[in-house]
Amino acid sequence: MTVIEVRGLVKRFGPATAVDDLSFSVGAGTVTGFLGPNGAGKTTTLRMLLGLVRPTSGQALIWGRPYRELGDRRKRVGAALETSGIHPGRTVAGHLRVRCAARGAGRSRIGAVLEETGMSELAGRRAGGLSLGERQRLGLAGALLGDPEVMILDEPANGLDPAGVLWLRGFLRRLGDQGRTVLVSSHILAEVAQFADRAVVLDRGRLVSAGPVAELVKAARRAVTVRSPRAEALRSALTAEGATVRTAGPGRLEIDGLDAEQVATLAAALGIPIFEMTTDAGSLEQAFLRLTATEGRPG
Amino acid sequence: MTSALHAEFLKLATTRLVAAMTGLAVALTALIGVLEAVTAGTGTGMAIPSLATADGLRDNLAATGFALLVAALLGVAVTSGEYRLKTATDTYLDQPGRGRVLAAKAVAAAAAGAVLGTAAAATATGIAFGFAASRGYPLALPGPDIARYAGGTVIASALLAAAGAGAGSLIRHQVGATIAVVAWGLVVELVVGATVTTVGRFLPYTAAAIMAGDTNGGGMPQIPRGVAALPYPAAAGVLAAIAVAIAVAAALTTVRRDVA
Repeated sequence: MTVIEVRGLVKRFGPATAVDDLSFSVGAGTVTGFLGPNGAGKTTTLRMLLGLVRPTSGQALIWGRPYRELGDRRKRVGAALETSGIHPGRTVAGHLRVRCAARGAGRSRIGAVLEETGMSELAGRRAGGLSLGERQRLGLAGALLGDPEVMILDEPANGLDPAGVLWLRGFLRRLGDQGRTVLVSSHILAEVAQFADRAVVLDRGRLVSAGPVAELVKAARRAVTVRSPRAEALRSALTAEGATVRTAGPGRLEIDGLDAEQVATLAAALGIPIFEMTTDAGSLEQAFLRLTATEGRPG
Repeated sequence: MTSALHAEFLKLATTRLVAAMTGLAVALTALIGVLEAVTAGTGTGMAIPSLATADGLRDNLAATGFALLVAALLGVAVTSGEYRLKTATDTYLDQPGRGRVLAAKAVAAAAAGAVLGTAAAATATGIAFGFAASRGYPLALPGPDIARYAGGTVIASALLAAAGAGAGSLIRHQVGATIAVVAWGLVVELVVGATVTTVGRFLPYTAAAIMAGDTNGGGMPQIPRGVAALPYPAAAGVLAAIAVAIAVAAALTTVRRDVA
C-alpha cells in the first residue's frame, strides 16, 4: 500500500526551480532513503509533503491526502526537520509538553520518547544548553510523540558524533523493524545503506533513480581490478572477450564486463600470472555519485 | 482551537518572555512614575501638576505609556519570535491551520498583555498613592476614576499585545517588526496626531494611552495637543478593531507564506 505519494511536484522560488516534476512513492512499512547532493530539493520536497511549503504545481500526499487535510490521522505522522528550532529557554520536557498540547495529545508518551532517544537525563535542561546532537535527538523525540505510523526525517544525522551516528542507525533500524513507514533524507550514505530498504535519489530537483537499495548498489558495482606482470597481454585477451579495460596504475588493470571468475579463468588458460585481484562490491555512495554525477563537484 | 490555545498558553508559561517583558514594563513605569511624582507641582520642564490635584494624580497614574508600548512588543515577540527561533516549523507541523494558530497566539498575547498591564497599573498606582500619601495629600480623584485608568491600562495592554501579535505575523523579521512598532508608537502617531488631530484619536497607541488616563497634550510619550479623547468604550473598540484588522491582513498575506 502506498503511504506517501509525490506526483509531478514542482516548486519554483522566483526564477530558480528547486523541485522539477518530481514523482515517487513510498510503500507502507518501508524505510526509504531520500538522497541527493546539497541543493537537490530534498528539504523543499519534505516541506511540501508536510504542508510547510506550497507547491507551485503537483501534489505531495500522505495516505492520499495533503498533510493539512489529514485530520486526526495527522497525529500518526511524525516529522523532524533539519531547520526546526527549539526555544532555547524551554526545557527538554517543556518543549515536548508544548508539542503534545499543540497536537492535542496527552503527555503519557513523553517519558517513553525521552527514554527511546536517550534524553531522559536531560529532561530538565534548557534547550539552549544542548549540543547539536542532543537537539537532533530531541527533534526525533518530538517526532515520536504520536507513536507515528509514518516518520519523515530530514538529515537526522547532522551534528551527531560517531557514537550518535551509530545510535541513529540502530534507532532507524528499530523504526523499520516496528513496521513504521520512514522517509529519511541523509548525506551519510554508508549509514543509509545499512538501514534503508529503498532509495529515492534527486539531483537538481529531478528524480534520477528510485528503487531498492540493493539494486542501486548492484548497478554501481565497479570493475574487477587485477595486478599482473603481463598486464598488456591480459588486456588484449580481455578486450577480445568483450570486456572494457582501463589502466589503473603500473601493471594494474580495471575491468568491466567480466566477473572475477571469468578473468581468473582466462588468465590461467593463457598462463598469465596474477598477483592480486579485487572485486569492487559497489556501494550506495558510488551509486549516488554516478547517478548525480557529483564526483569532483563542490558540495 | 482548544489545543492551539493550550499550546500557546503553555509556550508562554514555559519561557521567561512574559516575566521579562513585564519586568521591563514595570521598570519603565516606575522610572517615569517616580520622576513625575518627584517633580510634580514644581512647574519646571514637563513636570506634571501637584499630586494634590486631580490632573496631577491622573497624570501620575498614567505613567504607563511606555508599558503599553512594551505590551505591543510582547505581542510582536509571541509571533515573530517563532520565525527568529525557527520554532514555527514545529508549530505548523503540529497545527497546520495557520489562521487558527494566529488567533490562538493573539488570545495568548492578549492574556499576557493583561498580566503586564496589571503589573504596570499596580506600579503606577502604588507610586502615585505612595507619593501623595507621603506628602499628606488626600486622593484627588474618586475611586471609580482611579479604577477606570488602571483598568484602561490592563485592557489597552491586552489589546495592544494582540495587535502586536498580528504585526509580528505581518512582519516576520522580529527586529524589523520591533522597530516598526516602536517607530509607530513614538514617531508616526505623534506626527500624524499632531498634524491631523481628527485622525489622531483613532490611532491605536493614542487610543490606548487615553484609556490609561493620558490627556490631550499630556502623558509620556505625550499625546499630541489637539487630539480629543475618544470615549472609553470607543477607544477600546478602536483598539480591538485594529488588532483584528492587522490579524486578518496577516492571515491573508504573510501567514500563508512558505515556512522555510
